[in-house]
Amino acid sequence: MGLLANIGRKLSQDAKNVATTPADTLRNWKYTAEAVQRGEVPASEVVKVAVSTVLATLMVLALLFPIYWILMAALSGSGASLYTSESFTLIPADPTLQPFIWVVGDLIVPGYAISLSIPLTDLAVVFDTPQVTILDAANYGIERPSEFKKFLWNSVTVAIPTVLIAMSLIIPASYALSRQEFLLRRKVLFLYVLMTQVGGGLGVALLIGMYAIYVQFGINNSKLALAVYYAATAVPFNTWLLKTYMDGIPVSYEEAAVVDGAPPWRVVTEVILPMSAAGLATVFIFIFLTGWTEFVVAQTLLGTENYTLPVGLYSLVGEYSIPWARFSAFALTFATPIMLVYLFAQRYIEGGLSFSGMEG
Amino acid sequence: MSTATRVANRVEKVPFLSRGDASLLLVLPGLFIFSAFMLFPVVYLVGISFTNAEPANLFAGEGVVSILTFGDATYVGLQNYADVLTDPQFWNSFGVTWLFVATSVLLKILTSISIALVVTSDLVRGKRFLRSFIIFPMGLPAIFTITVWRGIFSSAQFGLMNQFLTGFGFEPVAWLSGRWTAFMAYNITEAWLAYPFMVIITVSALQDVSEELHEAAVVDGAGFVSRFLHVTLPSIKRPVLFATILTSAASFQQFLIPFVFNEGGPARANELLVVYGYREALQFQEYGRGAAISIVALVFIGAFMWLNVKKGRLADGVND
Repeated sequence: MGLLANIGRKLSQDAKNVATTPADTLRNWKYTAEAVQRGEVPASEVVKVAVSTVLATLMVLALLFPIYWILMAALSGSGASLYTSESFTLIPADPTLQPFIWVVGDLIVPGYAISLSIPLTDLAVVFDTPQVTILDAANYGIERPSEFKKFLWNSVTVAIPTVLIAMSLIIPASYALSRQEFLLRRKVLFLYVLMTQVGGGLGVALLIGMYAIYVQFGINNSKLALAVYYAATAVPFNTWLLKTYMDGIPVSYEEAAVVDGAPPWRVVTEVILPMSAAGLATVFIFIFLTGWTEFVVAQTLLGTENYTLPVGLYSLVGEYSIPWARFSAFALTFATPIMLVYLFAQRYIEGGLSFSGMEG
Repeated sequence: MSTATRVANRVEKVPFLSRGDASLLLVLPGLFIFSAFMLFPVVYLVGISFTNAEPANLFAGEGVVSILTFGDATYVGLQNYADVLTDPQFWNSFGVTWLFVATSVLLKILTSISIALVVTSDLVRGKRFLRSFIIFPMGLPAIFTITVWRGIFSSAQFGLMNQFLTGFGFEPVAWLSGRWTAFMAYNITEAWLAYPFMVIITVSALQDVSEELHEAAVVDGAGFVSRFLHVTLPSIKRPVLFATILTSAASFQQFLIPFVFNEGGPARANELLVVYGYREALQFQEYGRGAAISIVALVFIGAFMWLNVKKGRLADGVND
C-alpha cells in the first residue's frame, strides 16, 4: 500500500509540474529579459540558448514525425490508403473519429434479469437491469466493428500470467544473486549475462523446434503456455537488471534492520523491496511489454480465436494494401496506454537502467 | 525455527554443500524454466537438423514418445548441413547479416550519442520534457512501428519518403524493390527502433560525467571536440559499450523488419539469417533444412555473444 501511495504522490507531483510549467517558463523568460536589460546577462548568451533549444525541439519533432504521421492518417479517415491522397498535409482537411469508433466497436452493457427467490415461498423478486449503451457503433454507420476487444482480452490474459510468473521467478533470484554467496553463483550470473543478449530473433531461430514440441504436447494454442514461454525469455535480462539495481542499495540498511531484530523475510519485504522500487518498476514494465508486444511466436503458436493484439493488428495488413486509417487507429488505441505508462514511469526506468555498478 | 532455517539445515547435511548454498534454491526455479523453454528447443532443433523432418512425418506420431523419435522422420546424417553450407543462397544471407550488423550498429551509435548529447546540453532548456518525448517510440509495439516504416518507404510516389524526396526536387525511389535501397531502409528503421534504449543509457551515463573534469578541461583551453574525446567519451565508454553489445546482438537477430518490409527481398537478396531459416522451415516446409540453418545461426550468435561478454568485460560485475 505504501508503494501505491508513493506512486500516487509522484503522479500528482508530475501532474502539478505539467500544469505549472507554462507559468514557470513565462516567469523565467521575464526574469531573463530583465537581466538582459540590466546588462547582467549578455544577450548573445540568451540567443545561443534560444537557438539551440529551438534546434533541439525541431530534432525531437523530426524523430517523432512518423508517430504524428500515423495519427493524422487515423484521423483523416479516408481509409483506403495513405498514398492515393494528393500529398501529405499537416492537419487533415476533414478530421473524423470514425476509424477509432470502428476499433472500439459497440460499448453496450446488456440488460440482465436478476431474480431473487424469497426463501420458504414460491415467490421471487425479479429485477431487470436496463441496457446501458455507451457507444453504439451502428449509429456511426459502422456495421462490422473490429475484434479489438477480443484481442485485448487475449492480450490481457497472456500478459498478466507472464508478469506474475516472471516476477515470482526474478525477485528471489536477483536478491540471492545480489546478496548471498553460494555454489554455482558465478556460473549462473555468467549464463544470465550471456543470455541478456538474446532478443526476439533467437526466439525465431528456435521457433521450429518450439513449434514442433508445442504441437506434439498439444499446447500450441494455449495462452498460458505462451505466457510461461514469455516469462522464461524474460528471466536472464531482468534478473540481471534487478540484481545490478539491488547491488546499488547499501548493505548497511539491512544490517541496521538485522540489529533491530528483524527476521530475514522482514528485511526483504521492508528494506530491500521498498528500496528497489525503481528497479522493480522497470522490470515490471519490461516484462509486461514482452508479453504485450511480441508478435512472431504468438502468431505461429496461437490460433485465430486466441490472437493477441499485435497479431490482430498485423492481420489487418492485406497482401497488397494496408487499410491505413483503420490500421493506425487500431495501433494507436493499442499503444497509447503503453506510451502513457512510459511517460509517467520514466523516472523509474531511467533510474532502473542506470547500471549504477558500471561507470567508467 | 523458521522454514528458511530448516531448509538451510537440511542443505547443510548434504555433503559438498554449505549452509549458504540454500540460496541456490531461490535461483533454481528461474533457471529451470529458462532452460526448459530456451535450451530444450535448442537440443530438439539439433535433433531435427539430422533428419528429413517435414510437417507430414514430424507430426505423425502421438504423445511424448514421438517427440523423442521425431515422429516418423528418418535420420539423414549431415545431409542438411552439407546442403546448406554449399548453397550460395546461405552464404549470401550470411554476408548480408554481418553487413547489416556492421552498418546498423554504426548508425545506431552515432545517432544515439548525438541525440543524447543534444538532450543533455546545457544550452538547451526544457531538457526533461524533450527527454520524456524522445523515448516515446520505445512504448510502441515493434510490429506497428515496422509496418508504419514500410508505409514510409513505400515505393509508391506518395510514400512519405518519396514525398520528402520529390519535395527537394529528387526523383521518387522504389525503395523496397532495389537491393541496396531496401537494405538502407532496413538500417534506418532499425536505428529508429533502437535509439530510445540507447539514448536512455547514454543520457544516464552522461549525467554521471564529472563537472569538475569538464571545467578543468575548459580552463586548460580544450575545445568542444577534444573535451568530448578526452573527457566525455572515456567516462561513458562502459555503459555505451554495454548498450552497443546488446544492440548489435539485436541487429544480428533482426527478423521483423525484413519480414514485414518485403520478406527479405527483392528475390531473397536481403534475407537475414534468421529470416532465411524461418522461411525455409515454416514457409517452404523444410523443417530439417530450416533447423540446420537455425543451428548454424545459433552457433554464430552464440560465439558472437560469448566474445562480447569476454572482450566487452560484461561479466566483470560477476566477480564482485
